[in-house]
Amino acid sequence: MIRHLALAALLAAAPLSTQAAEGERVTIRGEAIDTWCYFSGVMGGADAVVGSAHHTCALWCSAGGIPVGLLGEDGQVYMVLQLEDDTNSNGGDTQLRFASHTITADGMLYKRDGINYLVVAEVVADDDIINVNHEDYGVIPPFAVPESALPE
Amino acid sequence: MTRLASIIAATLSALPAAAQDFSEGSTARSWNLYAENPAFFEARVVDPLCELTGNCPDNCGDGTRQLALLRTADDVMVLPLKNSQPAFTGAANELQPFCGQIVEVDGLLLDDPDLGATNVYLVQKIRESGTEEWTKANRWTKDWAAAHPDLKGKQPWFRRDPRIEAEIVAEGWLGLGPDAEVEFLKEWLEE
Repeated sequence: MIRHLALAALLAAAPLSTQAAEGERVTIRGEAIDTWCYFSGVMGGADAVVGSAHHTCALWCSAGGIPVGLLGEDGQVYMVLQLEDDTNSNGGDTQLRFASHTITADGMLYKRDGINYLVVAEVVADDDIINVNHEDYGVIPPFAVPESALPE
Repeated sequence: MTRLASIIAATLSALPAAAQDFSEGSTARSWNLYAENPAFFEARVVDPLCELTGNCPDNCGDGTRQLALLRTADDVMVLPLKNSQPAFTGAANELQPFCGQIVEVDGLLLDDPDLGATNVYLVQKIRESGTEEWTKANRWTKDWAAAHPDLKGKQPWFRRDPRIEAEIVAEGWLGLGPDAEVEFLKEWLEE
């Protein structure tokens, strides 16, 4: 109930500012990704810098303040500026918890200068990590898992 | 001739912002990225959540939010994803001291239409517009060290960060749960 009230408050408040851009109510299902590695190709191809193969690096980048995006089922990336009531998009706790998870997000979409910005009012489903790609790609980057992680 | 010049000018002004070249004056270091373009430009440091929704706390959110660069030349809002450190670190901490100010930045714009990468940026240095002295965009790890005075060590910050460590303890290196990854880790690390 509280979440629904929060959603209503967020949706109602958004248009109040005269300077605000025009947003669109959307529901998007996608994986919470590390946008730098995905866009830059610094670690390899786009299929390798997502999912379980890239999970530890996704944690590093999220905690390090690199913007988190949702890689939607439509193939587009949606930059997350707010997750429910947490506006800490610079390394915040909520986005860290969702690293590599496929979630369904209800909120407002703002498009500006070729970038999709998403203000998530409610995470309506969290399917955990469903992109299990480490069997194909190993760990990306390989040094993400140190030798000390070797099980006894 | 005048008519031809007008047509050319109109055509040029209609080109998408992504086609503009901001490499003049840039001294940005290459990261050897497929889609990188050196880019030096003037912009205002803004809070994108504020710009888009009207949710505007003081001082751009005091370091809690992503920050963007509203470019003077074309009013395009560029989103910096990365600072200059090869350490899994973003750009918001670097821009925060310049909240609301007109700055000049130098770095690398990424332009990869296949991935949807447009108007995203790696910032290498920043200065207040009209001044000479640059600030290197490398404060992130210093901020982390200042926030974690009890976690000194030789390992990089991401090996010592308590939040990351807690996630890995709970969910494993692959995020699938510690028990689910035992066999894979043995194979991976013993190769």
